[in-house]
Amino acid sequence: MLNKPTAPIRERLIESERLMEETGCYDGITSLSLRNEDPLKFETLHTKLRAYCVSAREMARRISASPGVREVGEMVVAIYTPEGDAIALSNGIMVHVHTMSRFIKWMIRNGYEENPGIRDGDIFANNDAFIGTVQVPDVMDVMPIYHGDTLVGWAGAVCHELEAGGITPGGDVALAQERFTEGLFVCAEKVGENDELRRDYVIRCERNLRMPIYWVLDEKAKVASCIDMRESVKALIDEIGLDYWLKVSKEFIEEGRRAQLARTRQLTVPGKYRGHTFYGHVTAGKPGYQPLGDPDWLYNIPIEMEVGLDGKITMDFEGTQPWGYHSMNCTPAGMDGGMFVTLTQHMNFEGLVNDGAWMATELKLPHGTWTNPDNEMVATATSWALLLPAYGVFQRLLSRAFLGRGFVEEAFVGQVNSPMIEMGGMSQYGTPFGMAHFECAAAGSGALAIKDGLDTAYVGWNPESDMGNIEIWEQNMPMLYIGRSIVPNSGGAGKYRGGCAFESTWLINKTDHLRLVTSEHSSRVFDNGGMCGGYPAPTCQKHRAVRNSNVFELAEHGKPIAHAPGRNPHHSDFEVRFEGEFELVEGPYITAPHKSGDIFSHSYNGGGGYGDVLERDPVKTAWDVENGFLTKEAAASVFGIALADDAEGFPVADVEATERLRKRKRAERLEKAVPVSQWMAEQRERVQQADFAPEVRKMYASAMKLSPRFTREFVEFWDLPEGFRYDG
Amino acid sequence: MTSYSKEVIADLVSGKLPWPQTRRIMSAYKDDDRFFKYIQVLQDRVGWSDPILLPVSDHLFICDSAEGRVTKCECGHSFGDYRRNWKLAASIIVRDTEEALREIYPNSDIPDPQWMEIREFICPECGTLHEVEAAAPGYPVVHDFEPDLEGFYREWLGRPLE
Repeated sequence: MLNKPTAPIRERLIESERLMEETGCYDGITSLSLRNEDPLKFETLHTKLRAYCVSAREMARRISASPGVREVGEMVVAIYTPEGDAIALSNGIMVHVHTMSRFIKWMIRNGYEENPGIRDGDIFANNDAFIGTVQVPDVMDVMPIYHGDTLVGWAGAVCHELEAGGITPGGDVALAQERFTEGLFVCAEKVGENDELRRDYVIRCERNLRMPIYWVLDEKAKVASCIDMRESVKALIDEIGLDYWLKVSKEFIEEGRRAQLARTRQLTVPGKYRGHTFYGHVTAGKPGYQPLGDPDWLYNIPIEMEVGLDGKITMDFEGTQPWGYHSMNCTPAGMDGGMFVTLTQHMNFEGLVNDGAWMATELKLPHGTWTNPDNEMVATATSWALLLPAYGVFQRLLSRAFLGRGFVEEAFVGQVNSPMIEMGGMSQYGTPFGMAHFECAAAGSGALAIKDGLDTAYVGWNPESDMGNIEIWEQNMPMLYIGRSIVPNSGGAGKYRGGCAFESTWLINKTDHLRLVTSEHSSRVFDNGGMCGGYPAPTCQKHRAVRNSNVFELAEHGKPIAHAPGRNPHHSDFEVRFEGEFELVEGPYITAPHKSGDIFSHSYNGGGGYGDVLERDPVKTAWDVENGFLTKEAAASVFGIALADDAEGFPVADVEATERLRKRKRAERLEKAVPVSQWMAEQRERVQQADFAPEVRKMYASAMKLSPRFTREFVEFWDLPEGFRYDG
Repeated sequence: MTSYSKEVIADLVSGKLPWPQTRRIMSAYKDDDRFFKYIQVLQDRVGWSDPILLPVSDHLFICDSAEGRVTKCECGHSFGDYRRNWKLAASIIVRDTEEALREIYPNSDIPDPQWMEIREFICPECGTLHEVEAAAPGYPVVHDFEPDLEGFYREWLGRPLE
């Protein structure tokens, strides 16, 4: 038996993994002896650790200068074992609990104990996704926790930076096509000693970022939180003893693993679940894109989830697309993160939340795809563009399981992509600046199986979704809000509709150079889905802007201005109210800089719907129309609900007319519908001839090249000749 | 152990349970006797007597029938053996033109029908819309769920199927 506390940490990690391999239990813990001995003490200690984390995070948020961290809470902290497994974590962006685990293990495996050395008071930082994070702006700091001479754990913290110094301003660097344009990398680097950040590291940050105050103060916030957690853990060890700590901290993780398996057996049904979504990336003709690959690309994201009888959940991405020269690739660390943050929301809502939950799952990430690139030079700056749609599918698959088991209150159509807007140039104060706007942290959620989705209140990547305060955002950018409103019909239709999104319209003000860039929004296809008859939300929006508008002139004369693009997709209210040069942009918004007097609008996403639209409650629908969540036109044409006006002009449901309308719509459905077998026979010819748009054909060819299983299933489904392939 | 009456489960499933009570159920420890109460609630709802074994969508159930275990619509229409993809025995409306997509998305930017179509899978008897797929043209129809029915009843519920 290895004398664990004094053995080199690398040996301790290898030993821990060997024990897991041999026993199937974390660190070889086959019996939760301390829990059995004194369950109250066990639970109390874990609650204390969680309190240390929550308190450290709250304290640190006050140190940060970034509205992303202060307002929206883009931060998480956690306490780890010496081998780098999470024991307890705070609230916040829990995606990173396991990515930080990968970072610590990477340093251990790469001999950091010898060089650069791991000592009390050291600070290590990382934002390299191939070592362990999701994207460049997710910068993490960890500090070892020593008790005497013994390494007893790690304290870690992550903040999402609003500016990363990449080819385009902000953090989610949309234009990055390779790693070398993503921004400032810190690759598992010792950035401080004796509890203090190194001056040369801070200087590097100050000279390589557009807005270093965010990054540097976030670094200080993270170090403060790590020191806070470290001192709390040391005091706890003084109280309970070193041997007890070393044992109990690992039992917490094994209990977390067992709890996850038990939860799966309690809430789901074993079997295979399948779903898919798509993402359209359209960049042809856009300035700045190097001709490294196809400019326009359609991604398929199929997922097969298997729930085993032992409670283990396995997710398989076989059949998806290869990595590409764009910023949306993802590393296995990022994929882990997406899985972890989803599980913490949907299954680990009680009991111990830690790396044990992750250990009860498995991800199958095919080599060479965007989920597991076989080239470490690829960019991952906007991984979320594909991660969010993918984990939205995961939520729907889990929800099918909850529905089967009867836990209808947990069934949830899931998250959607959260289109990001970032900017840089000259600020309203006449200084260079750069930042990401995080009001996107409040999308519409998918519907539930028993109620409508949340309006402007949910994103998958931060369970404490918050759009921040308009006044604070305005302090940080040379744009003023002239409108922020609910987007009618933005929730997917269904018996229960998806949550609605909002859109913002800004006046560019007090600057002659503002670069605006957007990312993480799909073009030409919806990147979400509905469930049980619900429709997907309309998530392929274009950007509308007005250059050289006459807004100041209109304001001077007290004339009305447009506060939103309006409801006519072919002719916006901007064109009705303003004069100027009108822009309608599909795909990432990467254009020439804006200046004072220009107008720009950006829309967020609503969630998918649940159930048959013809079962929608007419009274709820009247309320939706009255409050701007739905247009009257959609109420009738989509939901089959007839609305009349009451004496004061407010919409009221006409129940009898609705019944008639629905009866007619149902009959129309049956009249229009054809047997699936007939449709398949008609489509087969088209499939065989590859009579598709070039991007669709390319998608099939790429999937077939990487996946024999995808090819086999495709050929079998369409009854194609053996050996059938698409070339591309 | 947490437990709720069949009436409470019925209201929860139909979306009629008041939100404060629903919220409490969401926050509480889960009730281990949920499944069979849920099945009773659904059995009361449908107009046929074949025993429901597992719900697979809002109005679709795997049940034991004279023709074996089948996927059945709430209206009684059978889609055949539960191990086959019920969608292949359904009716379908495909929205693959701008005009057809506009009927569902009248005020929004819509997909390019060359890149994505909306497929509506409908019960050929009652016209209930059971599932919607948003997929690229030519994409195989998804088999959403293949439950391990035997294992579920035997090992998780402790009541092996006959």
